[in-house]
Formats: sequence, C-alpha cells, structure tokens
Amino acid sequence: MTSQGLEARGPARVSRELAPLLRVWAVARRHAYVLRRSPHRLFDVTVWPIVDTVLFGSLGVYFVHQGGPASAGQAGAAYLLSGIVLWHVVYQAQIAVSTGFMEETWSRNLLSLMVTPLKELELVAGIALFGLIKLVMGVGMVALAAFALYAFDVTKLGLGLLPVIAILLMGGWAIALVVVGLILRFGNGAEALAWGIMFVVMPLGGVFYPVEALPGILRPVSALLPTTHAFAAGRELIDGGPMPWDQLALAAVGTLVVTAGALGFVAWMLRLFRRRGYVTRYS
Amino acid sequence: MSDVLRARGLVKTYRRGRAVDGVDLTVRRGERVALLGPNGAGKTTTLLMCLGVVEPDGGTVEIAGHRLPRGRSAAMAHVGFAAGYLPLPERLRVGEFLRMFGQLYGLADPEAQARRGLQRFGIPHLAKAMGTELSSGQKTLVGIVKSTMHDPELLVLDEPTASLDPDVAMRVRLGLTALCEERGTALLVTSHDMVEVERIAERVVFLSDGRVVADGPPLEVAARFGRDDLEEVFLHLASERQASEHTEGLRP
Repeated sequence: MTSQGLEARGPARVSRELAPLLRVWAVARRHAYVLRRSPHRLFDVTVWPIVDTVLFGSLGVYFVHQGGPASAGQAGAAYLLSGIVLWHVVYQAQIAVSTGFMEETWSRNLLSLMVTPLKELELVAGIALFGLIKLVMGVGMVALAAFALYAFDVTKLGLGLLPVIAILLMGGWAIALVVVGLILRFGNGAEALAWGIMFVVMPLGGVFYPVEALPGILRPVSALLPTTHAFAAGRELIDGGPMPWDQLALAAVGTLVVTAGALGFVAWMLRLFRRRGYVTRYS
Repeated sequence: MSDVLRARGLVKTYRRGRAVDGVDLTVRRGERVALLGPNGAGKTTTLLMCLGVVEPDGGTVEIAGHRLPRGRSAAMAHVGFAAGYLPLPERLRVGEFLRMFGQLYGLADPEAQARRGLQRFGIPHLAKAMGTELSSGQKTLVGIVKSTMHDPELLVLDEPTASLDPDVAMRVRLGLTALCEERGTALLVTSHDMVEVERIAERVVFLSDGRVVADGPPLEVAARFGRDDLEEVFLHLASERQASEHTEGLRP
C-alpha cells in the first residue's frame, strides 16, 4: 500500500532521493545550534580532553623518571598518550550520539519528530554527523595537548592509524546505540549510563595495556571486546612494527558483530517504546 | 479515495487496563472532526495510534493511502501535528525551528513557507525570537505554523487552544478554519472546550471508556443524548464515567 499512497501536495519539495539527506542535514544543523548556544557543552570537547591528557601524560612522565630501562619507560609513556588520544575517539563518538539523543528527550521534542517523515536511522545519522564535528574537536584537543605538553606527535603513527580510528569510531557509535536503547526503555533514569558505561569499557577495553595485564578472571571479557584488539594494533604501531592485520581483523569483525547487536537491541527497544506508549514520558 | 484517515478496530491495552477498545475513526478530505471525551476516555491514545507513535494491539491505520506502520514516513508527509502541551525546543529561534521542520517535510524553500505561515497567523515579528522567550499563546501559534507549513492533507491538533487567552484562541480558530476552507485540509482536533468544538467541527466523535459512543454533526449528537449542546453531552458522559468508577471501587 505504501507505494500506492498519495504524493505529497502543496509547496515545492526536494526529490525523493534527496529528502532523506535533507532530513539528516536538518537534524545535524539543529544540534549545531544547540552546541553554539550551550557553551557548557563544550566542556566535553575542550576541558575533559585536556584533563585526560595531563593525567595520563603525567603518569607516563612519572614512570619514565622512576628509573629502569629508559626505552621501557618511554614506551609506557607513549602507550598512555596514544591510548588516551585513541580512547577519545570512542568516548567522543559515544557521548555525542547519546547526549544528542538525550537533547531531544530533554527538550520534549521526540513526539514532534516522530510525527514527521523522519526515520529513526536518519535521526541517529543526523546526530552522529554533527557528532563527528565534536569528535574532531575533542580528539584534536587531546592530540594538541599531547603534542604541546609532552611532545607526543600522534600523527607519527602514520596512515595505519586510520583503520584503527575507523574501528574505534564505529565501536563508540555501537555503545551509543545501546545507551539510546536503554533510555528508550527506562526513560531519562538511564541517562547516567551515557557516561558510566565508558568507565566500564575503559579498563576492560585494552586502552592502555594488553589483556595479560588484567586479572585472570577479567581477561576473557577483555579479549571479547573489539576495542582491546584495536588498541593493541595501535600499540604495535607505536612500537614501530608493521601493520598488525591480525589484530585489526579481529577488531573489525568484533566491531561489526557488536554494531549488529546494538542495532538489533535498539530496534527491539524502539518496538517496546511504541508498544507501551513510552512517548508520553516526553510530552 | 476520499478518506485521508481510516482507522479500523483500534485496540490498546496498557497494564492499568484497556485504553482503547475497537475504535473506528474516519476523516474525509477537507472534513473537520473533533475527537471528544472525558479524561481517560482514550482520545490521546487513539490520536497517537493514528499517528503511528503508539503501536495498536489490534486494528489498522491508513493515512492518505499509506498503511502504518510500514508506510509511516510517507504517511507523515501528509500530516501536520501540534499539541498545546508540546514546548518549542530550547536554544532555537522560531525561524530556525520552522526551517528545521520544513526540511524534515522535504520542502525546497522552508524559509519562504515559514514566512508565509507566520504571516497567516499574524506573528511574522516572532521569526527571530528564541523559543524560550515566547508566551504560551505564541508557542501554540508557532506550533500550528510548524504543523501547517507543508500544506498537509490532515492536520491533527491535540488541545490546541488549552490555556490560551480568548483572543488568541479566536485567532487560532479563524486561522485554522480559513486554512481548511482554502486548502481543503482535513482537521482532527481534540479539545475540552465544547464551545470551540461547536464552532470548528462539522462532525464530532465522542469516546467513553475507549469506545466510540457517538459520531455525527454536533447538534445531532447532542439531540441523540437528549441534550441541548455538546457541553451537556460531555458532562453527562463524564458523570457516567465517574459513577462507573465509583461502582468499580465498591466491588469486593
């Protein structure tokens, strides 16, 4: 029946092919306005990155000064700094999408959006598109601080860094989808997870150390997380080794599986949201 | 194909009980229909199911020939929705808000449509105002501009004039009536103001306990209940509901 329905009447409209892109653009632009008019939201992309860089950069410097083989200390410091730069890819991607969705719940805009041609994936795509700008700002800030304060140049890792970043970006979005699903199901009470979930992933996700550094009981969990392998690939690049394709492949496959699971989860929660009429929480 | 909205056998049960129980609702092209009933009668749930926001447990909904939920996105291109209780998003100017929704509706020139809409409802000076600076009446008017700027086939308004001054409510009413007459837009409206309903609607559908208990022109419906106007029908149904709730409460 869908294809047999009426064409929209009235004022000139963009082509059917262009309409979804325009909707994604409209959402991204709305979030750009929100950021411009809420300077406190810049905290996530300015202050946190610098705090993290100072914290982990200084830990690295401290270990270097503790004695022992200089090369080991320097490698440790580089692991910490590269880890925090790459961690901010996951963090910024996740936070941008989660808080972007929460913005629609805080401003009670969900019902209005749901009664337009906007599709759920277009909403997420619009938020994620603007989130990329926040991500560039946040990760750029960490990289800049690492260079300015600790003379650590992340670009020296070369082009090999790009697939690692792509995998971590996708991983961040997958975590965000899970958070969005939980907010759909449990309401704004689940908001704390947007930030809290990252503190669970960080120690288990191999950001600064390999799986072997964790207590035995946690190692299987860590090995299952795709971020663990992406960060391991990053460390191999730091060591000057060749492109670690095995780790990258594990990370890529794991990320695809996690993303598919996250999409399935959010679709399930969305069905529940519609079935139980949870939209009235936000109207 | 003269029906712009066709809902058949809508059923919805929440944990607290059945909210909507087999509602049929049809709105023809250009028709102005009011969905009425006391609090808890199932009006909002029925509206939300018709808009594809809440999934019915049973029944079907079709808008402009697009069956929900599959055709929801295409169907919504034909629908405008505003509610007196919905705020404007913070941190957006009125013009930005309208442009955003114009783009969501796929308009090629959303700014021009926004200007026309603001003009129609007599508020062109609000284009640069922040959403948070508006009075509740102005917010309602902007919400209605948003819901009409894409020239929808069906305009759904949930309590559009709730808590408005009589003069603003009149401006809303006149603007809507003119729009419906000029463009042949169908209107589905809920309201607790029976005088307003008698002025706007050609047909009223009364719900009570999730069921349609009357459907017809306002005066005919009032006569069917042996009352002079819709206000009396409303009070009659509300008191019946109260009595039935009281009886339920007395049951062991």
